[in-house]
Amino acid sequence: MSAPGKTEPAEAIAGAQAGNAEAWGELYQEYAPAIFRFCRRALPTREDAEDATMEIFLKIRGKLGQYDPGRSFSAWLYKVAANHCWDLLRRRKGRQDKETEDASALPLEHPDPSQLERLIEQRTGQEVRRALDQLAPRARMALVLRYYSDMSYDEIADALGVRRAFVGVVLLRARHELRQALGQASAAAAGGNP
Amino acid sequence: MNRREEPRGERMADHLDEMSGLLYLEGQLEPARARQVSAHSEECAGCRTLLRALERESRLLTRSMVEDDEPLPARLVAAPGRSPRSMQWLWGAVFGLAATGAYAFYSGYIEPWLTQLDQAGFGGTNLLGLLVFQGAFWKGWQSMFSLFETLALVIVAGTGLLCVRRWMRRSSTLAVILGGVCAAALFPAPAGAAELRHEQSYTLGKDEVIKNDLYVAAGRARIDGTVDGDLVVFGEGLDVGGHVTGDVIAFVRTIRITGQVDGNVRVATNTLTLSGSVGRNVTSATEVLDLDSSARIGGGLTMCSGSASLDGKIARDVFAMVGRTVLTGSVGGNLKMRGADLSVGPTAQIQGRAYFAGERAPEVSSQAKLASPVEFHKVEREGRARHAGHFIWRGIWLAATLLFGLVLFLLLPRFARETVESADHYGVSLGLGILVLCGIPVAAVLACVTIVGIPVGVAAMILWGVAIYCSQIVVGAVVGKWLLGPAGDTWALIARMALGLTLLKVAGIVPFFGGLLRLAVLLWGLGAISLVIYRQFESARPAGAAPTAA
Repeated sequence: MSAPGKTEPAEAIAGAQAGNAEAWGELYQEYAPAIFRFCRRALPTREDAEDATMEIFLKIRGKLGQYDPGRSFSAWLYKVAANHCWDLLRRRKGRQDKETEDASALPLEHPDPSQLERLIEQRTGQEVRRALDQLAPRARMALVLRYYSDMSYDEIADALGVRRAFVGVVLLRARHELRQALGQASAAAAGGNP
Repeated sequence: MNRREEPRGERMADHLDEMSGLLYLEGQLEPARARQVSAHSEECAGCRTLLRALERESRLLTRSMVEDDEPLPARLVAAPGRSPRSMQWLWGAVFGLAATGAYAFYSGYIEPWLTQLDQAGFGGTNLLGLLVFQGAFWKGWQSMFSLFETLALVIVAGTGLLCVRRWMRRSSTLAVILGGVCAAALFPAPAGAAELRHEQSYTLGKDEVIKNDLYVAAGRARIDGTVDGDLVVFGEGLDVGGHVTGDVIAFVRTIRITGQVDGNVRVATNTLTLSGSVGRNVTSATEVLDLDSSARIGGGLTMCSGSASLDGKIARDVFAMVGRTVLTGSVGGNLKMRGADLSVGPTAQIQGRAYFAGERAPEVSSQAKLASPVEFHKVEREGRARHAGHFIWRGIWLAATLLFGLVLFLLLPRFARETVESADHYGVSLGLGILVLCGIPVAAVLACVTIVGIPVGVAAMILWGVAIYCSQIVVGAVVGKWLLGPAGDTWALIARMALGLTLLKVAGIVPFFGGLLRLAVLLWGLGAISLVIYRQFESARPAGAAPTAA
């Protein structure tokens, strides 16, 4: 996970589970920025991300009793966040965003490595985030779960409701979409500044 | 591995495909395959470059995402302190109250009224009024309702849960389930456990007695013994030669009643032959109804039939829609009939008024004993011109609805789009549609109990009516979307709505199917509209909660 790395505030978690408002506040301060950033990456607008962050923490507070202290708190937190955001996106997009699980639809071409390197190098975080915004919800969510939340393939499969064997395909397809968006942005920039 | 051309004039060689490269970097390959990939990349400069590029891409993605580019918004600085679950309980409480109110209204006002009407007998002169308001029609169906409703609720609940299982976390689903439970609770449970029989052929022997309601699903059922309760039968044929102390309710091809039924007889069948006695009323939908001379009906007879021969004795009124009727028996009350032909034989007796509406004048024997001459109203066949006029009016109404939809979509494009998208969730929409269709009028009536609540109740009813009208527009747009694909802008959505609505209107003309279709459209569209309105309230609600300082 991205927020992890540092030690989890076990005392605050236990206190919050026991209903201590101060401990809950401490826990919130610890994780709210990371969860907001997660929502910001996964959802289309800032307003959506704000609402979702609030709703996720409300959910978390209601479900704290279900949390098993033997497991990673941040992993559990991201799982709740992922489920919430994905539900939101799925509800909004409805059936329009139905993507096939047919792996044969994916072009498994060997890209030109040097061309790929050129596309990646010199890219700023802002450019990548803009490109991410243009991706289909599932592609974006898959990338966020993997490269922001550092979720395992099993966890991603569970969150997105796809087969585990299909996660790699989803991720690779998402990368292709991202490259395409980055390429278009470059072309547009080049056209604007001849 | 796949093949590609090496840039520096190297020969064609096997190379890693991108998927293998990605899975290798992410530690997702089987160990043997991972070793193979590792060994290959050590030898192949092109694949090493690919792996390096993919790894850099992964790092770039992570770096871009974790960058703290936006501070936490002010409204999120304080921790939320209260769970929105209260809203779910509110839903539950509202529907629970509505259900209780409906039950109280029914048992306090409707039921006593029905009882009084039932005790008053068949005094009405209007067939619709008789069917709808007099207890005669409803009373005998109660046990049937319990059975059907229980089955229907189980089926609907099961189907609904299957459809909405992916949205189970949503509070609206909980509300629907709670509403369904409340609705189920409205219907009184049967007095006791019933006897259930499901056999190829069922016979209740002459000396056998069942002291309970009896439900039979059998090819042929024969009742020679005694059923001390109601008898409900599904199957090919039914013979009642014994004694049924309650009602007989049957959906079978042929029914013959030679024994004694103390209650009502409610049947949908091809042929009904009655030569025994029925203590109360007979209601039937049959192709052929034959009332033998020995038949006795203690109450009235209400029937829809292709042809009927009435030779027995009917103590009260007869209300009928029959193609051809031959009356040679006696009617203790009024006769009100609509059909093609009526023949009143010399042995016939009618002690009340006799009214016949049909294409031809009734043939009445001069020896028949009538309290008054048969009042005849000639019914003209609907002419071609009238049909043409009917379709012209339908066309005008369609145009008006299309215009209304057009204005609505232009005025509220976002709402329209969200509603059409909501309709994609069939299960939730249908469930919510049922709930809103039944729940809002009850809630509105309850609201009107207080002076302050009257405007709320009236407004709710107006909104409910508008939503019902708009439901066809929403479903029309969904149908159009199915046919033409997703709409890019509002005008494209309007075009889809116009196409879908026209198709729905045309399909609605088909007899029987059209009625079912209209009901489904109403429930579906109403549910979708309600879902969007609910979401609007949800998002308008302040994001949860009085924050508690951390």
